[in-house]
Amino acid sequence: MWDIVEQGRKLFRHGREDFQAAVQAASDCPAFREDVEEEWVTDEARSCYNCRFRRWTPDSFLCQAAAG
Amino acid sequence: MKVLICIDDTDNLESRGTGDLAEQLATEIEERNWGRSEFVTRHQLLVHPDVPYTSHNSSMCFAAEIGEQYLPALVERAKAFLVEESAEGSDPGLAVAVPDNLSDTALLVDFGRRAKREVLRKQDAYDLAAAQGIHLSEHGGTGHGVIGALAGIGLRMSGNDGRIKGWLEIPTRDGMARVADIVEQFQLGGVRSMTGDLLEENDLVAVGEKPKAVYLDGKPFLMVSPLTDAGPARWKTSCRRELKKY
Repeated sequence: MWDIVEQGRKLFRHGREDFQAAVQAASDCPAFREDVEEEWVTDEARSCYNCRFRRWTPDSFLCQAAAG
Repeated sequence: MKVLICIDDTDNLESRGTGDLAEQLATEIEERNWGRSEFVTRHQLLVHPDVPYTSHNSSMCFAAEIGEQYLPALVERAKAFLVEESAEGSDPGLAVAVPDNLSDTALLVDFGRRAKREVLRKQDAYDLAAAQGIHLSEHGGTGHGVIGALAGIGLRMSGNDGRIKGWLEIPTRDGMARVADIVEQFQLGGVRSMTGDLLEENDLVAVGEKPKAVYLDGKPFLMVSPLTDAGPARWKTSCRRELKKY
């Protein structure tokens, strides 16, 4: 699900369009936190794509959650 | 007079979002009886390793119709507001423009569009703002938010960028609503398909969860997608995945 990149950060391996994988990754994440509504990009509330701790990159996102 | 106010980079991972702050400022303008505020639009800017941002790099803009005499007070209040409300570690920027006073709106729109595809410098923003008579100020951190704040003004002025903050609480019957009723209730420009067709007044739309409007042709539009069910509605409100491109 994740690639470990520079500085030990976690890069989501499935890019920006794998909505199912993003829901799955968020389902058992203790650090998940809904972002503000205007930043949601999918209707499934609990998705890494809607998480406050995702930092978008051109092709995917980095997880910024300490325990994510 | 009409003014456009845009803020950017006010948040961190723990704080309220920039959109909430824009909405609060818009409300405060009305509470102070300076004028009437419009909806807030969210504008996506470039996502790039060389651009500093918390998680999404978007700016928030709204228009207000105010008494001309209140403009200096509005600018001062907005500056103080950002100092008070911006989160630790953020790089907030504020832009306030009077569209009727701009000598070349095309330059501003172009700046906004460039901010969606290029890495711009703070000085680029300050130079353009000074040339156009736009208030542009930074309120902490690196102040990089001035780029997004000015870009947001340009994108709002383009009339064709961004999603409206919040969602439309559309009353339904059997899960559906008539286009004319939706347009009237929310003062929309219309209801439009993702391929650009404008729906007819009597068309029925199946209303999904938390439908959102986008900013097109200078107005908010509800976007819909074709529905292939055999029911009376031929359209359903577009989901967030479909609205990502706005």
